[in-house]
Amino acid sequence: MTNRFVVTPNLCIGCRTCELACSFRHSVNGKPGQTRIFAVAGPMKEMWVPVTCLQCEDPACAKSCLVDAISRNEETGAMEIDQEKCVKCMACVAACPFGCSIHDQQHHMIVKCDLCGGEPACAQFCPTKALVYQPVGSAKPKVVA
Amino acid sequence: MAITKVASPKDLDKLQKQCQTEQDKHKRKLMVCCGPGCLANGAAEIVTEFKSQLKKKRIKGFSVEAMKETGCHGFCEQGPLVVVEPQGTFYTRVKKKDVERIVEETLRNNKVVDDLLYTAPDEKTYRDYREIPFYKHQKRIALRNLGHINQCDIRDYIAVGGYQALAKALNKMSPSKVIEEVKTSGLRGRGGGGFPAGRKWESCARLEERPHYVICNGDEGDPGAFMDRAIMEGDPHSVLEGMAICAYAVDSSEGYIYVREEYPLAVQFLQEAIREAEEYGLLGDNILGTDFSFHIKISRGGGAFVCGESSALMKSVAGEVGEPRAKYIRSVQKGLYDRPTVLNNVESYANVPVIIDRGGKWFAKIGTETSAGTKAFSLVGKVVNGGLIEVPMGTTLREIVFDIGGGIRNDRPFKAVQTGGPSGGCLPDDKLDLSVDFDTLTKAGSMMGSGGMIVMDEGTCVVDVAKYFLKFLVDESCGKCTPCREGLYQLYLLAVKISEGMATENDLDKMEQLSGVIIDASLCGLGKSGPNPFLSTIRYFRDEYLTHIRDKRCPAGVCKALITYEVDAQACDGCMACIHACAANAISGKKGEVHTIDQTKCDKCGACFAVCNRHAIKVA
Amino acid sequence: MVHLTIDGTRVQAKEGEMLLKVIKQLGIDVPSLCDHDAVEPFGACRLCLVEITKQSWDGWKKYVTSCLYPVEDGLIVNTQAEKVVEARKTLIDLQLARCPGSPEIQQLAADYGITQTSYEPKIDSDNCILCGLCTRICEHMGFAAISTVDRGPDRRIASPLDEPPPDCIGCLACAINCPTNVIPYTEKGNKRTIWDKEFELITCSKCGRKTITRDFARALSKMRDIPEAYFEVCDACHRAETATNMGRIAGWSRREEAAS
Ligand SMILES: Cc1cc2nc3c(=O)[nH]c(=O)nc-3n(C[C@H](O)[C@H](O)[C@H](O)COP(=O)(O)O)c2cc1C
Ligand code: SF4
Ligand code: SF4
Ligand code: FES
Ligand code: FES
Repeated sequence: MTNRFVVTPNLCIGCRTCELACSFRHSVNGKPGQTRIFAVAGPMKEMWVPVTCLQCEDPACAKSCLVDAISRNEETGAMEIDQEKCVKCMACVAACPFGCSIHDQQHHMIVKCDLCGGEPACAQFCPTKALVYQPVGSAKPKVVA
Repeated sequence: MAITKVASPKDLDKLQKQCQTEQDKHKRKLMVCCGPGCLANGAAEIVTEFKSQLKKKRIKGFSVEAMKETGCHGFCEQGPLVVVEPQGTFYTRVKKKDVERIVEETLRNNKVVDDLLYTAPDEKTYRDYREIPFYKHQKRIALRNLGHINQCDIRDYIAVGGYQALAKALNKMSPSKVIEEVKTSGLRGRGGGGFPAGRKWESCARLEERPHYVICNGDEGDPGAFMDRAIMEGDPHSVLEGMAICAYAVDSSEGYIYVREEYPLAVQFLQEAIREAEEYGLLGDNILGTDFSFHIKISRGGGAFVCGESSALMKSVAGEVGEPRAKYIRSVQKGLYDRPTVLNNVESYANVPVIIDRGGKWFAKIGTETSAGTKAFSLVGKVVNGGLIEVPMGTTLREIVFDIGGGIRNDRPFKAVQTGGPSGGCLPDDKLDLSVDFDTLTKAGSMMGSGGMIVMDEGTCVVDVAKYFLKFLVDESCGKCTPCREGLYQLYLLAVKISEGMATENDLDKMEQLSGVIIDASLCGLGKSGPNPFLSTIRYFRDEYLTHIRDKRCPAGVCKALITYEVDAQACDGCMACIHACAANAISGKKGEVHTIDQTKCDKCGACFAVCNRHAIKVA
Repeated sequence: MVHLTIDGTRVQAKEGEMLLKVIKQLGIDVPSLCDHDAVEPFGACRLCLVEITKQSWDGWKKYVTSCLYPVEDGLIVNTQAEKVVEARKTLIDLQLARCPGSPEIQQLAADYGITQTSYEPKIDSDNCILCGLCTRICEHMGFAAISTVDRGPDRRIASPLDEPPPDCIGCLACAINCPTNVIPYTEKGNKRTIWDKEFELITCSKCGRKTITRDFARALSKMRDIPEAYFEVCDACHRAETATNMGRIAGWSRREEAAS
């Protein structure tokens, strides 16, 4: 894995474009699906933080899955849920300390960020660059205060 | 007596001589059959009585040790049996009260107790059992020692050459030579499938993975069958020796005998036999002083018919639920604990020592081209002489039913013979001249199975037979896969419908179609052969089915819903016997007057029919 | 890689892969009721039956359940052979007789043109098709709280002695994965009941939402070494916490930037 998310909360304006982009990218039967990213209101007023899975080194989701349905995609580095294997017990939803395994109630599926196969739509569409997906070690985006 | 381990073939020869000398001390021997049939008829009591009589009477030249408790002698129908050897004097239906006479007359005075001899239906009386047609037409290989040695006594077994084949294999033959010999013999599995044993051993031997296991299938689930039980109880060492030879051939050091839950005596005797064989160094570590070791454990069955199926059996031995495994991998490759495993039937193993001893060529000459050797059957049903038999393959059904079996009881006409156990088939009289071997029976729509043979007379209804076996299979299906669980059940319900006169000819078509699907789609052998009771009866007895359907009549007078009991006014003398016998209070009439049956009350139990001495009750 | 032909299409598959998977990847409709990737193939429903042959088999054909038949080089598979379709139809008909009241089976039957079973329908059916998914998944997860009991048509799914199963932790995996949805459970307040056993649902310490059962959380932290504290908060509140934390970090970085 060479790329990673860089989140700059003070750039986030809470427009929820990331959620929309995720939703469309993960559409089910032509309809927008469950977003895997959330623009969450921060501790201070007018402050937003895009929260999504950071693909931990030793993820609680995979540890908690008793049927081993969650594994790392070696190409993208994303922890992915094998939907054919998942038994929907909700263990990972309960276990993730960042709340990034999500129960898609509409389709009754457990979903999480899969980095869109290496090109996350959220980062692509973020208008303020609060969320970027870039090579590890490259310069931080310029802060527009 | 202190036991020294047999450490070489020479030791074994010496031991055999010793054991023979022990035997030769007794000029005469008294064989009391303690096989399953005779035990059920009181053989245990007879043994006790002989012991006490012999102690009391002190017969010169005859000691208690000359009395043997043997395995099934074969002619169970006439049991309990007592045979005096070497004369072969054959006493049948012996009761406790007869024992004293046998001791006094035969053992003391060398006279025959005439009224205990066997009298054939043609009134001919036989003294020596070897003359009796039932025995004369048989050839015993697997059952060679049954009825001739103590059930569970290694010294008796050694005296008749036991464990010599194992010694020969270990010392004079390489494992591949043993396999070659078994292949030459043409021995095919006696448990049902008829797979060539030598080829099975060879595929196992070839596999690199270790350990290899050797398992003996003693589940014997077929109702009425008791060949394997008779061998396990009557000659357990022959099974152990066969398994040990197999283990040597396929390089295994661990074996299991899977014994049916209902056979506690077999478990006890096998355990005893294993212990004895280990004591003598004929089993366990460093057998006969070589570096070959082989341990056998007993595994008790899961109590279900399907546990006899190879993959279910192996799961059961491993302590899991005995359900067939659904995998397209042969169990020779991935058997017990997923390791290479040879599974053979009890009778298959019992043949092995003889094959090694006398050579594969000798064995191959017996029987037919494709089915070598002999086959044991438990002959039951409406034959005159029921019992445990063994005949060369290729013997015709007619010879078995009429020459050995003595024909049908009460001289009624023969109708069919059922072979192959519950999922076997029924063959009618025009198939009586078929040769009994794997391929011929299969071609005729039945199968060899493990050796149950049920003879049926005119009083048997084929729809009823199909119903009976289907019910058995429905109850014994493990229920894992849909076609077997639901399909056989629906097939059974349709058979019931026919027997109740409620079916149409469409139902027959439906049954045939459904049968095809069950065969194609079922997971294990039980389902795949499950429709056979129906298919083989419809094949040969379609007319009888049609009579049930079209005319609502059961020609054999068996299917209750289709028969009526009526009083023949000419024959009835008004004795009131039937009135007393009828539990449904359906019969009325005064003493001395003709009785009548109220059809609305009659529940067709047939009690009246049975009690009427004047044959005045008619079945229509 | 293994090369085979399915319904006339030449495909590649990974060695050891089961035929059914490859068939489904091609978008071919072969019904399967007892197959689930979480557990080993079981071969109980038999609906995934297909016809196979090979060039070298001289016209000889075999019928196998594709969910547990590993792909082989040169295999020629026909998923819609006449005999196969007929068998499938009969099998569905039989299932409909067993579960006349199951909407899922009724639908499947309707797809095969069956509106009413041609066999004797089961009275008082529990509509369980005995696919064994519930017991297999439960066992695979490490609990084995329920099992199959009895034989033949009487076979059924049950807890030991038909009492509340001691080993059940109330995860609902059995009920949720049941293809005919016949395992009942209820949820009321912070109580969940399944297999007649009552469980406490964890209440999120922040918002009060109910998450998994206390017993399941305990089992997970013991089996997989996950701090039990993780389970005290629901996923939404976990995200809010994350936002707060990240915001704090961001706040610091703003100050740092201003200083530089
Ligand atoms: C439903 C079912 C029941 C079986 N029961 C027995 C049995 O009771 N005894 C037996 O020896 N073989 C039984 N078999 C056959 C075994 O699966 C296996 O083929 C046999 O034990 C192999 O030994 P053999 O080659 O020496 O016959 C059964 C098979 C099926 C499908
Ligand atoms: S919900 Fe799915 S991914 Fe999560 S633990 Fe259960 S099976 Fe695994
Ligand atoms: S209860 Fe549901 S999951 Fe369990 S065997 Fe029955 S149908 Fe399958
Ligand atoms: S049991 Fe005695 S003859 Fe068979
Ligand atoms: S899916 Fe293959 S048998 Fe059920």
